[in-house]
Amino acid sequence: MVKVSIRPARPSDLNLIMAIEHVCFPTDSWSEESMREELSSAHASYFVLLADDLVVGYGGLSKVASSDQSDIQTIALSPSVRGNGWGKQLMERLLEEAVRLDARSVFLEVRADNPVAQGLYEKLGFAVIDRRRAYYQPDGVDALVMCLDLTGRPQRQPIVLGIESSCDETGVGIVRGGTLLANVISTSMDLHARFGGVVPEVAARAHLEALQPTLHQALAEANISLDEVDAIAVANGPGLAGALMVGVGAAKALAVGLGKPIYAVNHLVGHVGADVLERGQVEVPTIALLVSGGHTSLLLVRDLIDDVQLLGETIDDAAGEAFDKVARVLGLKYPGGPEIDRAAAEGDPKAIRFPRGLTLPKDMEKHRYDFSFSGLKTAVARWVEVAQDSGQEFSVPDVAASFREAVVDVLVTKAVNACLDHGVPRLLLGGGVVANKRLREVAAERCAKHGIELRIPEFSLCTDNGAMIAALGAQLVMAGRAPSALGFGADSTLPVTTVQTL
Amino acid sequence: MGYLLAIDTTAGTSVALIKDGRLLAQSQSELGLKHAEQIGDAIASVFAETGIRPRILDAVAVGRGPALFTGLRVGIAAGVMFAEAAGAKLLGVVSHDAIALSLYNLDGNLPNLPLLIHTDARRGEVYWALYGGLDENGIPVVLAGPSVGKYHEVAQGLRSEFGEFVDRTGGATADWVALLAELQLAAGGASDDVSALYLRAPDAAQPKPNQQFGKRVSG
Repeated sequence: MVKVSIRPARPSDLNLIMAIEHVCFPTDSWSEESMREELSSAHASYFVLLADDLVVGYGGLSKVASSDQSDIQTIALSPSVRGNGWGKQLMERLLEEAVRLDARSVFLEVRADNPVAQGLYEKLGFAVIDRRRAYYQPDGVDALVMCLDLTGRPQRQPIVLGIESSCDETGVGIVRGGTLLANVISTSMDLHARFGGVVPEVAARAHLEALQPTLHQALAEANISLDEVDAIAVANGPGLAGALMVGVGAAKALAVGLGKPIYAVNHLVGHVGADVLERGQVEVPTIALLVSGGHTSLLLVRDLIDDVQLLGETIDDAAGEAFDKVARVLGLKYPGGPEIDRAAAEGDPKAIRFPRGLTLPKDMEKHRYDFSFSGLKTAVARWVEVAQDSGQEFSVPDVAASFREAVVDVLVTKAVNACLDHGVPRLLLGGGVVANKRLREVAAERCAKHGIELRIPEFSLCTDNGAMIAALGAQLVMAGRAPSALGFGADSTLPVTTVQTL
Repeated sequence: MGYLLAIDTTAGTSVALIKDGRLLAQSQSELGLKHAEQIGDAIASVFAETGIRPRILDAVAVGRGPALFTGLRVGIAAGVMFAEAAGAKLLGVVSHDAIALSLYNLDGNLPNLPLLIHTDARRGEVYWALYGGLDENGIPVVLAGPSVGKYHEVAQGLRSEFGEFVDRTGGATADWVALLAELQLAAGGASDDVSALYLRAPDAAQPKPNQQFGKRVSG
C-alpha cells in the first residue's frame, strides 16, 4: 500500500516541486525563483502531496489578511499518480486552509481545454463565474474563473501540541480537536526518591533534558510532523516557577519557529479539560476535585473556558505530600501514595481514629471547602513515636489504612458537600492521587448514594500530562479565542479563574 | 555558510541572527530577569526585522552558561525547540568563550597576558574561565575552566599556575555566541552538546531515614 499524506511545503521541497512544475506546465511553467518566493511568502500556504514520503504533487493558496477572499494559486500532480483521487485530497486540504484563514470565498482559474480539472473543481462545489480570453500564453487558451462560497463551513479540527512542566512530569501531548493523538510523559520521580519529595531544581533540570526526546516520541506516536501542528499550548501555572519556565521557553520557541499561535493555559483547569479527550466534552456544571503532590483543590466549573471558580484548596500540605511524609514515618519508600496503598490493603481503616482536618463545625464555617493535612501528618508521626517509645509493637498496615481513610474521608466528604450545596450532579476527579484505590472506591460509593455522576479519566490523563494542556488549548482555538501574546510568564500561583493568560 | 540564530540567556535575554559573520538583527535586553517573558518576542523580532523565515536557518546556537540556572534553562529550552521547529542543526557554545571572543576582538588595550573572565555566581562566588588568546581560526584558547569558586581563591590558584593575568567581567551576548559558533563550524570544531553548565549540584538535603515532624512529645 502506498502511504499518501499531505504536509506544508518546505524550502527544501523546491527541486522536486520544480520537476513536477516542468512536466505539468511545459509551455508556461513558473521560474524556480518565483516558486521559491511563493513558498516563502507570508501570504501563501503551500502544501505537498507525498506518496511514501516522495513529493508527487503540490498546491498553493494565497490569502491576504485584509481580504476575505482567497485564491488557489496552483495545483499540480505528477502524471503517474493521477486518477487516484489524490488531487481531490490536495484540493480539500487547500480549502481547509482557506477556512482556517477565515476566507469566505475561494477563486481559481482553470484552462478551458482541461475538462478533467474543471470537473474536479465542480465536484468540490466551484462554479464558473467568468471567462478570460486568451489568458494562457503562449498557447492562447481561455481561462475559466471559478468560485466557491465557504461561508458556513465548519473549521477543521485543529491539531494542538501541549507542553506541561509544572512539577516533576515533562509532558508533551497532541490532540486533534477533542481527539487524543499522543500523550507522552517523562517523569523525574526516581530522581526525587532519595530526597523524599520533589526538589524543584532537580525537576527543572530533568525537564530541560527530557524536552527533545519527549517531543520526538509524541510526534512519532501521533504520526505527524511539526508542520502539521496548528497551535501550541503550554501550562504557565500554577506550579514550580523554575520548572514552568522550561516549558514556557520551549513552547514560545516552537510557536515562533513554526509561525503558529500559542495559548498559555492554566494547569489546574487542564486537569478538568482532560475529560474532553474521553467524552468529547466536559459536561457542566461539574465539581472537580484535583489531588496531587502539589495541589488539593476543589473547583466549581460552569464552563471549561469561561467560568471556573475555586471553592477551596489546602491551607498547608497537599494530600500527595502528606502521603509521602507519612510513608517516610512508616519507613516506606517514595512516592508514598502507592506504598501506603499497598501497606493499607492488609490493615484496618478503623484501627486508629486520626483527625479529619477542617471538619469541625467552627472550621467548617470558615473553611467549608478547604483542606488541611499538616495536622494529620503530625498526628500520625506522634502516634508512631508514642508507640515506639513505649516499646510496643504496632501494625504498619493499620496505621497506613487509618491514615489513608482519614485523607480519603475528608476529600470525598468535602467534594460531595460541594456537589450538594451547589446542586451540581457531577464530580470529576483529577491529579496523581486519583491512582489511590481507596479514594476511587469511597468516591464511587458516596456519589452513588447521593445520585452524583462520578467521572475519573484514565490514569495517564489524571496525572500531570501534556494531552490535557493540548485539549484545553484546542477548546480555546475552536471557540475562536485569540492566542496569548508572547510576553506571558510563568506564574507559580496562577488562579484557576485565569483559564488563559492573554 | 547559511543563516545562524543564536540565543543566550546567561545575562540578559539575547538573540541574534547572522550570516557569514554579518549581524543581520539582534534583540538584547540588559535585564537579567524575566527571561521566560522576553524570549518569545526576542526571537520573533529578529525574524520580523529581517523578513527571514525560520525554515531557512542552517543552525541554532545556544549559550550553555555557566550561569544562574533559572534563566540559563529558558534559553537552552528555547534553542532546542527552535531548532526542532526550523529543522536546523543545534549547536552549544560555552558562554564565557563568547565573552572572551568579544573582548579579544573589541578591546584593543588588552595586555598580552592570560585573560580571566568571571561572572557573578551569587553566594560570594564567580563562574570563571581563563583564556590564552585566539587560535589560528580566531577561536579563544581555553587555559582553564569553566568552573565556579570564590574569586580570591580562584585568582590565587591561577596566579601560581599561570603567573600574571588580566581579569574582566561581562555578560555574554548572542551576537558573539553566533560568531563563535560560525568560527567553530568553519574550523570543524562545533559541538552539538547543549547541556546546561550548572557546575553546582542542586540544593537539596537528603532527609534522615526516620525524620519526623513537630516537637517530640515526652513519654
